[in-house]
Order: sequence, then C-alpha cells, then structure tokens
Amino acid sequence: MATTLRLRKSVAVVFLALYIFIGIPLWYKLTNIYRATLPVEYIQTLHDAKFKEIHLTIPVFIKSDTYRFPDIHDAVQVQVNYLLRSKRQYVDWSLEIFPYNETLISTEYDSNRDNYHVVDLVLDEFIGYSLPYDSMVTTIYFNDESVASNDLPFFIAQILVEHTFQIEYNQWILKPGQTEPNQYNSVLDSEQFAINYTPNIHLSISLLNGNGNPVSWEIDKSLTKIFTPFRELISPLYNFTVDTQIDHFNDLNLNKLNQINNPTWHDLSHIIDLSELSSNNYFVEQNAINLVIVFPNKNNDLNGLKILHESNNNDSNSTITAAPVEWGSFVVPRWGILIVNKSSLEANSLITEEYLNPILLKFIKDLLSFLGIANNSNKGINADDKDFEYTSPYLVIDSLKRIRIIENLNKSIDTLWSLVKLTKQFEQMTVPKEVLQDLTDALDTRLELIDLLNNPSKGSDKDWNKGLIMSNQIVKNCERAFFHGEMLQQNFFPQEHKLAVYLPLLGPLTVVILSGLKAVFKEQHDNDENSKKEKDN
Amino acid sequence: MIYSKVFTGLTLSILVFQKVHSLESLDTEINSYEYVTTQTEEDVTNSSIFGALNCATTTDSLSSTKAAEQKYVDFEEVLHKTDNHENIPGILTNYPVTYPYTEKMNLRPLPNNHLLISFIFDMSSEPFYPNKNALDSGQYSHYTVFPKIIKPLLELTSTRQFQLRFTRGYWDSETWGALPYNGFKSGGSGVELWATIEATSKETAYEKWKTLANYLSGHFCASINFIDNSKTSFPQYTFGSFFNGKEERIPLFDQKRENTDLYVLHASLANEPVCTENLTPLIKFLPARGKTGISSYLDGHKVFDSIWHSVSIDVDTFCEREDGQCQYKMEANVDMVIHVPNTLERFENPIPKPVAGDKLKCDLSKPYDIYECFPLSESTDTNFSLSQLFNKTIKGCNNFIKEPTTICVQTTNEWDITLKVIEDGQKDSFFGTPDNCFELVSSKEYDLIIDTHNSQNVTLIDEVPIYVSRSLTGYGQDHGGLRTLLRNPSETPVKIIFYESLPWFMRLYLSTLTVESTDPSINRDTIMESMYYSPAKDREKPAHIEFLLEIPPLTTVTFSYQFDKTLLQFAEYPPDANHGFEIEAAIITIVSPKLYQLRTSTLLLLLSTPDFSMPYNVIIITSTVMGLIFGVMFNLLVKRVVTLEEADKILVERSIKYKLLVLKQHVLRKIGLTS
Repeated sequence: MATTLRLRKSVAVVFLALYIFIGIPLWYKLTNIYRATLPVEYIQTLHDAKFKEIHLTIPVFIKSDTYRFPDIHDAVQVQVNYLLRSKRQYVDWSLEIFPYNETLISTEYDSNRDNYHVVDLVLDEFIGYSLPYDSMVTTIYFNDESVASNDLPFFIAQILVEHTFQIEYNQWILKPGQTEPNQYNSVLDSEQFAINYTPNIHLSISLLNGNGNPVSWEIDKSLTKIFTPFRELISPLYNFTVDTQIDHFNDLNLNKLNQINNPTWHDLSHIIDLSELSSNNYFVEQNAINLVIVFPNKNNDLNGLKILHESNNNDSNSTITAAPVEWGSFVVPRWGILIVNKSSLEANSLITEEYLNPILLKFIKDLLSFLGIANNSNKGINADDKDFEYTSPYLVIDSLKRIRIIENLNKSIDTLWSLVKLTKQFEQMTVPKEVLQDLTDALDTRLELIDLLNNPSKGSDKDWNKGLIMSNQIVKNCERAFFHGEMLQQNFFPQEHKLAVYLPLLGPLTVVILSGLKAVFKEQHDNDENSKKEKDN
Repeated sequence: MIYSKVFTGLTLSILVFQKVHSLESLDTEINSYEYVTTQTEEDVTNSSIFGALNCATTTDSLSSTKAAEQKYVDFEEVLHKTDNHENIPGILTNYPVTYPYTEKMNLRPLPNNHLLISFIFDMSSEPFYPNKNALDSGQYSHYTVFPKIIKPLLELTSTRQFQLRFTRGYWDSETWGALPYNGFKSGGSGVELWATIEATSKETAYEKWKTLANYLSGHFCASINFIDNSKTSFPQYTFGSFFNGKEERIPLFDQKRENTDLYVLHASLANEPVCTENLTPLIKFLPARGKTGISSYLDGHKVFDSIWHSVSIDVDTFCEREDGQCQYKMEANVDMVIHVPNTLERFENPIPKPVAGDKLKCDLSKPYDIYECFPLSESTDTNFSLSQLFNKTIKGCNNFIKEPTTICVQTTNEWDITLKVIEDGQKDSFFGTPDNCFELVSSKEYDLIIDTHNSQNVTLIDEVPIYVSRSLTGYGQDHGGLRTLLRNPSETPVKIIFYESLPWFMRLYLSTLTVESTDPSINRDTIMESMYYSPAKDREKPAHIEFLLEIPPLTTVTFSYQFDKTLLQFAEYPPDANHGFEIEAAIITIVSPKLYQLRTSTLLLLLSTPDFSMPYNVIIITSTVMGLIFGVMFNLLVKRVVTLEEADKILVERSIKYKLLVLKQHVLRKIGLTS
C-alpha cells in the first residue's frame, strides 16, 4: 500500500508540474497577441548618444589664381580644426580643406549652381571677404603683408567657420552650460509661428469677398512673377503645391469688428472664423500655410477701423507686421497670413498685379518665418535679413539642408524611442510585423545616411540633397511605424477578459489538481498518525 | 384676384434690355452682355421694374442667350471699351467677370396634387493642362466656382468621371411617368457611386477607387467608406462607353505608360439613410453657399421631407483635342417630389392635429352627421406659393453666374403661374410669361405663385418604356430565389441591359435560370442577346450579371434563379443582424427605343443569424467537459485503490456511530471507568 501511495504522490506532483510548467505557459502563448521583437537595446543606445557615430565633413576647395600656395589647404585645415575642436560640439562636424580640383568641380557642375564650397583667394590691397549673392563661393581678399606674416590660413579658417558656415557654427557649437542646442527655429525666436519641417507643403491662397459680386484677380501673373522664382530657389528644401480660390459670402466674420468699440488686433484674433475656409480645403500634404485676402461686406466697410491705419511697429509685443495703406496684415501662428482690406470690392472688379505683388512679397517674407528659415520677430520685416546679412541665399539653403538632416535624425530617434517606451508600457499592445519592417528600414537607411555624411569625399550639392531625401524617408518610416493603426486598436482587449473566458477550464483543473495533491499528502499524514497510534497502542 | 399681370415676360425683358441699351453708350455688339451695375442708383430706379439690376446678364429671352454667348468672347475687348476707373489703387472696376456657373429650378406638377421640384447647378473648373506636377515651380491651380476639394481628389485617384447618387423614397412611375432626366440622375434607394478611373490594372484601379470612396465618404458624411472589394463590381455595358461612346471622349492623361486604360467601377450601399448631412456638403460646393439664388431653398428639412428625393453629383472631364487643355465639369441636381396638400398642412399646422369639425369636407353622397363623415377626395382647386412650401422666399439671384437664374414651371394652360417681386416698402409686383419661365435678375426677394382649378390637368407624362419588379422567393434559411419581372407596355420592342450585382453570400446557381413569358414562344435563347457573368468569390467579389435582352412588344417576361444562403463568420454580421441584409437594386438601362435608366427597389435578405453569445457558451461548455474528464482521470490515477473489505472497514471507521463510540471510550478511559 505504501508503494502505491508513493507512485500516486509522484503522479500528482507530475501533474502539478505539467500544469504549471507546460500548461500555463502554453495557454498563455496560444492566447497571446503578436508582438514583434524590436531592437530595444540598439534604439536605447542610439537615444543615449544620438550623434556618436556621426562625423560630418564638409569639403571646401581653395582656389588661388594669383599665387600658388602648395600647402595652404593643410595650413587652413590645421586652423579650422583648432577653431572647431576648441569648442564643445553638439554634432561632431569639421571642414575638409582640399586644393582646387578643376576636373572634379567642373564634371559635376549642375544647374547653374556650384556643387561644392569654394574659397577664391584674390590678391587685393586690403584684407576682407565677400559672399556673392548667387553662388557658393567665398571670395577672400588678401594682401602681401598677410602672406608674409602667415596670417592668411587663420583668416581663411575664421571666415569659413564663422561666416560661410555660420548657421552650422551657431547651431552645433554648444555654449557653456548648454547640453543641447535650441531648436533651429527657436534660435531665431520664431517658434510660435513655425510649422514642423516636412519637405512638401501646401499653400492655399484665397480671395474672400464678403459680398456675392463677381470679381477677378491677376493672381496667375503675379504668382508667376513673384512666387515662381522663390519656389525655384527654395526647391532643394521645400516643394510647394499652390492653389488659389475666390470665395464669396465669406468675410471670416470680420463684420463683427464694427460692433466693437475701438477694436484692437486682439479682438480680431478672437473674432475671425476660419472654420468654413478650412473645411473647404483639400490637400495631401501634411502641412498647409494659408494666405487669405479678405474684402469685407459692403455694408461693413472696415475703412473706419483704426487698426488698419495704424502702423503697429511701435507695439513690440504684437505679432503684427507692418500695415500698408490699403490693407493690414495679420499673422495667425502656424496657420497663415490674413490680409484685411479696408474697403469692400465692387462688382466686376479686377484686382491687378500692382495690388497683389506687394501682398505676395509680404507673404514670402512671412512664409520664411513660417518655415523657420528667417526670423519674423517683433522688429519688423527689416530684421529678417539681419541674421544672414552677409550670406548668400544659396549658402543658407545649403546649410539648412545639413541642419534638417541632423534634425530629422534627431526626430526619428526620438520617435523610435517613444515607440519602444510605448511597447514597454503597454504589455497587451500588439506589435505588428509592419512596424518592425518600417523600423528596420529606418535604421538601415540611417546607417546608409551616416556613411554618406561621414565620407569626406562626398559633399557636393547632390550628396546633401540625397542625404536630405534619405533623412525625410527615415522620419516617414519612423512615423509610420509609430502611428500603425493596429497597435492601439488591439490595446482595448483586457487581460481579465481572457481569464474570465477560460476560467471554466482553468478553474476545475486547478481545483482538481490541488485538491488531489492535498488528499495524497493528507493520506500519508493519516497513515503516519495511524501507524503512530498503533505503535502507542 | 388681388393682383394683375402687368406685362408678359417677353415684353418686360425687352423693355429692360432697351433701357440698358440706352443707358450704356457702348458698342451695340457687346450691349446685350453689358453689366448693368454701372448704372447709377437713380437710373436703376427709373429704368427697371425689376429693381436694382445687378444680376448676371439681361437678355431678351432665353433663346437669345446662345447667340449672345458667342458674342461674349473677349474680356480684353470689353475692357478697353468700358470706362475703367480705380477707386482703390490697383483695383479696376467695370471689368466684366462671369464665372462658369449656372443654376436653374424646374417645377412640374404631377397627378394627384404632387409636385416635382428640380434644382440644377452646373459649374466648370478653370482650364488646366493635365500631367503637370503640382510641385513644379510654375504650376498653380486656380479655383473660382468649382469646388476646391474635388480637383485634387480627381488628380490623386486619376478619376476622369464620377457619379454619386443619394436617392430615397418611392417614384410612382405608373402615375408620374418617366423619371426626371430619363433616370440618368437618380440612383437606387440608398447611396450609389460609380467612376471611370485611369489605371494600369484592375488592382490599381481598385486601390484608387477605394481612396476615392474614402474621401467622398468624409466629404459627404456618408458611409461610402464601407464600399470594399466585396461590394465593387466592374460593369461591362451599363455604365461608361457601351451605348454613348463616351470612352473615346475621355482622354488618357498618362499616355507614357503602356497598359493604361479606363476602368469603370460601381458600388452601391442599398437603403443607406440619406439625410441633411449629405446635402450640406453639396450646398458648400455651390459658390453662393445657399445664401442667395435658388440654392437658398436647399434646406434639408424640406428636401428630405418628401415622398421621393434624389441628390446627384456628376463630375466629368472634357479635353480639347488640339491643345490638350482640359476642364472638369460638375453638375449637381437635387430633385424631390412633394405632396402639396401635406406640405401646406405642415406649413399651416406644424403640430399635426385633427381637422376641425367645421372644416371637414364630407362626401355628400354618403350619410353624414356630426359623428359620421366619409371625407371627400382631395380638392383639385389649388393655390399655393413657393414661400409656403419652403417657408421662405428666394433671396435674389446669384449675380456672378453666366446666365440669369431661371425658374420654369412645366404645365398646361389651366395653371396660372405668377412671379412675385417683393419690393421694400413698396407694393409688390407680379409678372407672368407665356412659357412660365422666369429669369431672376435682381437682388430682391422673389416668390412664385401657382394657381389652378384643376390640378389633375398636368402636362402629358412621359411613358415609361418598361416596368420592372424584382422579388425574393422561397422560404427557409438555406436557400431562396430571385425573380425579376419585366413588362413592356409599348407596341415597340425594347432593348435593355440588365445589370445586377449580388453579394457573395447569395450563392447563385446560374444553371437554374429560367425564363417565362406571357408569350409561350419566348424562351431564354430568343430574348437574351448576350450575357456577362462574373461569379462571386467569398469575401472578395460580388456576383455580377449583365444581360442584353430584347423584350417584345406588349409582353411580360420573367426570369428567376435560385441561390443558397451562406453562413457568415461571427464578426461579419452587422450590429443589427436580425434586420436582414439589404440587396442593392438591379439597374435596367434601356438602349432603344430611347435611352432611359431605371432601378428596381432594393431587397431585404434574411440570413440565419447565430446566437451571438454562442462562442462564449461553446468555450464554457467545452471547458467544463474537459474539466470533468480530467477530474475523473486524475482521481483514478491519484486516489487510493482499496479492496472491498478495506473499504467497508474505512466506511465503518468513518461513520458517526463509530466516532461516538471511540469518543465514549476515550472519555470513560479518562475518568478511569475502563482500562
């Protein structure tokens, strides 16, 4: 009898072990949701040291027609390295100085634009530099004394670092006590206006007529004249889709302004109703900027409104820029520009180029601040140019490409890190294969991009464009991974629900196994007691 | 009559025209299209009984519009001849502007005091050249009256044409005759969408179609996004090119790629409710936004409070052959049939209450007293105005349209139709025209008064070429049948295309197709010219049937087929599974003797519905059974096996009597009575 007891005991124990070590894990596995394994540790390392493996190199070619300096590039290199290495850098970057290579530059010459940064040394009577408006050449004037005193290499290095690459210098050289640079936009104090960077942006230009009169405008001529050159210039960074419309019986509720006694710009911002305008819009791009030219209803002429007459440059806290004679301009942050006209439009009016051109010029200036390129601070329009006073627009766009690449990398890693945190936090959330695929693609492209950035021989315009496209792709992949619809959808199926459904199976099994086990051990206990009693007796 | 007609419309228009003519010292050539806004206020009051003329154009009659349109060719020419001046620097006035937009309203009394009201809005986009990348630096899209959200959508999905229909209600074709626009502007009950899409393959066409459906769903607040591949079919003959040769006209934009072709896709959501939220987006598409002109009558409460209503939107692409310049055109139609006495009753008594005793009209040929009354049939004496039907007057005209807004009433001479112009602070003016068509040319308020002594006398109704009814047959939850009856009432043979798309869960047996007729000589082979059948695929594709039939004169033909009902998967049942499944209407397109299209009513198919708590019950019962089996098996393995004697002994030991005995002995032993 004792032998069967031992056997039965072991059977009960084996069942319990099977139940705990095989049954429960198997049940859990079979009823569990799919979670792809994400490279959590790798992403964490990237997040902890975002730009560790990046060493951005920008090639610069030195050209001298008058004198031949066989070792000038080496000398400048030493000086540039000294200038950059002596400071703390946010992203490791440096300039690679090469002697002028005519074949390389001429073969890759493309679309009227210099492909590489070139320093042109010109012998003159004084020392100085100039950054021509229409190229990527830095012209440096030197005299014989500077050559004799060997000041020239340091001078070239200083101009390159602090002027030609001033945007990189301002952005990537950390000030004492700073661990991270400000966002590029906020450096220029325009973060409240600027929209997030996306390569394609939609521009919607609307003429709102408070009356139902037939009106016409020479917008196509005006756009072709003013806006097309701007689009061409900025095309490496931003591409726009532009549409224009004439909308009737819509004055954005401006007629209410007349009901307010002495209205201010603040009243305007409370009154304007953009809902109808926005609901009629359609675009596939992620971001849109609006230019709205409003003509009031003829019964609600705004001519008497003081705010349209006043020049608001004195008001340093206002978001309004200069107010010309016939119209006032109002910036709606992250939305667009509102041009409010004083008088209503008569029927059969034609708004000519003459009227539209200043509005478009004003719009372009404001647009730059919406894109985060220029500063639309309270100092007015003229302050815009101050930051890049001596810089050519090509240099600004070239530098911005690099800034955007780094920002995109930063953003993508942040997105991936948020994704990883999210999946960690919600244990019940499914992680589909597509998310892993997007993530892998993004990380692969990232490595490819870093190879491109680190390669000192690659630094032409084309390479930077390619880099920007790749970085945009990375951001896109990361965001697609993060916003995958299935991840959150499945999150609402609670764990308790699963347990409740399977309780009729798990309950009896648990009770039977545990009570059986208890019974067997109790039996032994009883046996022991009985034998003890028998002994006593 | 409290008013009288002052002039006929024709003379009136000519008068106005002459006045304008004399006021403007312009070349006669452009006179008929001169904008009258240039008149001074004084001139206007003197000149026109229509009040301040500032709407569109003033032509002597509708028929002359075409001729005038041809003259109106060159803005620049007019610009030079008009006296431009600048009130505001940079803004020229007197610059003639018209937008490619027209609007019309047609009314047609129907028998039994019904009234068909149709609104027609036509608009075109600005001309454009296809295949231009919107991202190119010189590329701009301009919009005036064409809805801004439509063009990018057409470009995104490569759609060349799309037709959207929201139709509900019952059209009584036996009494009312043919459908408006020969049925080409109304869909089956619910929502219907079809489109011509340029694509390289069926799959890419479907992807684009899905995008189109999703976006339209968002714009029109309708469930169009529920259109998926199980509801989409590719009609062969019914839509597109087969009978009107449209395909040749529709250009392929992407000609660089090979294999690009036009695909016609169709889907419908049977019996989908149609309501105000579907109409409001359409009103937003109109340039006046329902604020002036006839679009101010587009009120959801009125349009959908009708016996039959249909909202249709047709977008089409037209291209010049020579230079490749293209234009999108959109036609929006809103049609409704109201029962006039009911609508007037609603206007007079918003809260329904029984007719007062003294207003009750009893049939005098039958006994009547204060307790008993057989009411008379409806009076044929009718006098009502549009403002009574719509609760408001028309607020002026749209002054940016190409032609003046017109309101036409199509009826017989027994009806008096009068336009009322409401003058501020003055006596209202009333006008009538011989053809009952009125042009609205001022920004004043208008009303239309309709009066007749015999409302049964309406214009001759258009005969319907064919009557169709379709029904489900059979009983039970396993299988059923579908029976369609086509009756040709005319004395000419009728050639039709019969289109039917059936959901995959109706497993159709085409072999069971039988054709019966009142004429015994007719069988399947004699009437069926051609047949297209694409079988359904479970959850992927509906069954799609198209027949080309010729129905002989004065004959009724019935064809029927059988189908099996499928059991759906648990998650495929809608929330109200017991309501049944709506089956979309069949579409019958008549090719000859005239082009006409009609739809059958939708059907309600009942499928067996499971008990939705079943999966839980199954899991619970299975688990319990497994638990029981396991318990028995486990006990067999773990519990002690004893002989019968041992068991008896244990049982005895376990009895209360035995335990009491043991206790007693124990107590006795303690107190020392026993050893």
